[in-house]
Amino acid sequence: MIEAMPVITTNPAAGLRIEGLSRHIGGRSLLSDLNLQVAPGECLALLGPSGCGKTTTLRLLAGLDAASAGRILLDGDDISRLSAGDRRVAMVFQSYALYPHLSVADNLALGLRIRGMGAREREERIAAVLELLQLSELRLRRPAQLSGGQRQRVALARALLRQPRLVLLDEPMSNLDAQLREELRPELRRLLCGGEQPVVYVTHDQQEAMGMADRIAVLRDGHLQQVGSARELYERPANRFVAAFLGRPAINLLPPEAGRQLGLRPEHLQPVASGGIPARLQRREWWGNQQLLWLESARGDLRLLVAADLELPEDLQLGWRPDHELWFDSHSGERLAGP
Amino acid sequence: MSPSLLNSLLMLPALVLLAIVFAWPLLDSAWLSSQASSVLTGLSPIANDGANWQRLLGDARFWQDAAVTLRFAAVSVGLELLLGLAMALVLHRPGRGRGWLRALALLPWALPTTVLALGWRWIYNDPYGPLNAILRAFGAPPYGFLTTPATTWLFTVLADVWKTTPFVALLLLAGLQSIPAELEENLVLEGARPGQILRRLTLPLLKPWISLAVLFRLAQALGVFDLVQVLTRGGPAGSTESLALYAYLNAMRFLDFGYSATVVIATFLLLVLLTAIGWLLLVRRPLEASR
Repeated sequence: MIEAMPVITTNPAAGLRIEGLSRHIGGRSLLSDLNLQVAPGECLALLGPSGCGKTTTLRLLAGLDAASAGRILLDGDDISRLSAGDRRVAMVFQSYALYPHLSVADNLALGLRIRGMGAREREERIAAVLELLQLSELRLRRPAQLSGGQRQRVALARALLRQPRLVLLDEPMSNLDAQLREELRPELRRLLCGGEQPVVYVTHDQQEAMGMADRIAVLRDGHLQQVGSARELYERPANRFVAAFLGRPAINLLPPEAGRQLGLRPEHLQPVASGGIPARLQRREWWGNQQLLWLESARGDLRLLVAADLELPEDLQLGWRPDHELWFDSHSGERLAGP
Repeated sequence: MSPSLLNSLLMLPALVLLAIVFAWPLLDSAWLSSQASSVLTGLSPIANDGANWQRLLGDARFWQDAAVTLRFAAVSVGLELLLGLAMALVLHRPGRGRGWLRALALLPWALPTTVLALGWRWIYNDPYGPLNAILRAFGAPPYGFLTTPATTWLFTVLADVWKTTPFVALLLLAGLQSIPAELEENLVLEGARPGQILRRLTLPLLKPWISLAVLFRLAQALGVFDLVQVLTRGGPAGSTESLALYAYLNAMRFLDFGYSATVVIATFLLLVLLTAIGWLLLVRRPLEASR
């Protein structure tokens, strides 16, 4: 497997650097002491359940909300004190935020017009970006006359047009159906990533995060849990939350024993002839390429992911390889080095 | 029963009600405008071959009142629109106590017109009212706000603006709240200043609501009666007499019901004409352009 790696640059200051970023309102902490770095051309996904602080982070980066503490550095410049309009940050909103009264071309032109760009340069740039996103045919349509996928492309075109120093995306695909999302992922990566600007991508969909991003930052209740490649997060989760949040079907967490808790991924359990945990088959979900088995055992309910054609008896024994064990401190939830 | 028949049946009560309270009085007035019906005829209608309409065409008082009414409507609706927009923009801003502020802003609109007209009559009183007290404090001579024919209309406009601006503001506020916040945020990220946001985004998106407010208010202002009746009784020298007031005077003071009906129908036709023009300009054309 080829693992996507962040682009390595010679200038350590290049890219986005978030230092101690926090936001509190009315005694409630939405984001606490976030530290992150995103290299030029790198796509970082902010992943977490709703209310975890991912959208808050994005709005702080854009300058739409004010930070309570911390700094945001872009290529070494502190942009935290700049107004949103001066940051040269582009954002793609979940709703796409297209101007409903303007055609596709005018949606793109408005920002350039506001910045005082001349008509000729404007036309050229718009034509180029419409070409790039295969939107030229639609240039005179209004947003209401476009499909969801087309609207999303227009929003993307509008963000790229400005040649921003930082691109932010807030759940850009959550309004599209699952099939379209899957199709668009490679296109979105091709358009956004590997350029000069860092990309921060907010999503609650782990599959999207894993498919889109070079690295993933998992947030929970305003605190950063772990940041790393999808594989690092999956194989070496920092804590129980990350282990449970990533991976579907979710990890099996066995009942705690002596302050420790064992986690086993459903695909890591396997039927064994003897010496395993005795278990009884309760329910079977057949997925075509795989099947998910729900089992009852002395160590709680277990989920088991196996090949679709595997025939199993009602009563069986389950084993696993020791190197697949993930041990957690049952109180703090932190992952322990070993058993 | 077919769905369309059911639909028609369900509409029937509303149509009957409209016919009773709207179509019937209107048709009755239209008929009455073709009759002589005054003290001279013993208040019983006698057909007079369109003499009422002939009289109307040559009635200088009618045409002056039409001009007064149009001026009143145009200036007060224009001012209400500007102030209402400003008020809506302020009330739209997030902030502490916004709910209270909104309730407070609506208060003038909730007052009965007669009550506020009496209030304004006192405010404008010459020489004892509060406005003249302020003038006096600055050493200026008292001013006849309601007795100077050249300017009294302006003060009736101000009283009307005070009352109905909240209505316009409320309508426009509803419009503002229908605009998704991300649109403005995206424009902010594109570097737009507040004035540019207003011109490029807010006003264009608010246009249907503005049109609605203008049409509503225009129809109301062209039929203004209670405010002028209580505030000035159409004076001084008929300078604030509205068409509705003239129709009322014809019926209730001169007891000429036939001619009063003629004025009513003429006013109604004027109103329909102006509203239709407004609708064509403000609603239909933009709708077609957006298709």
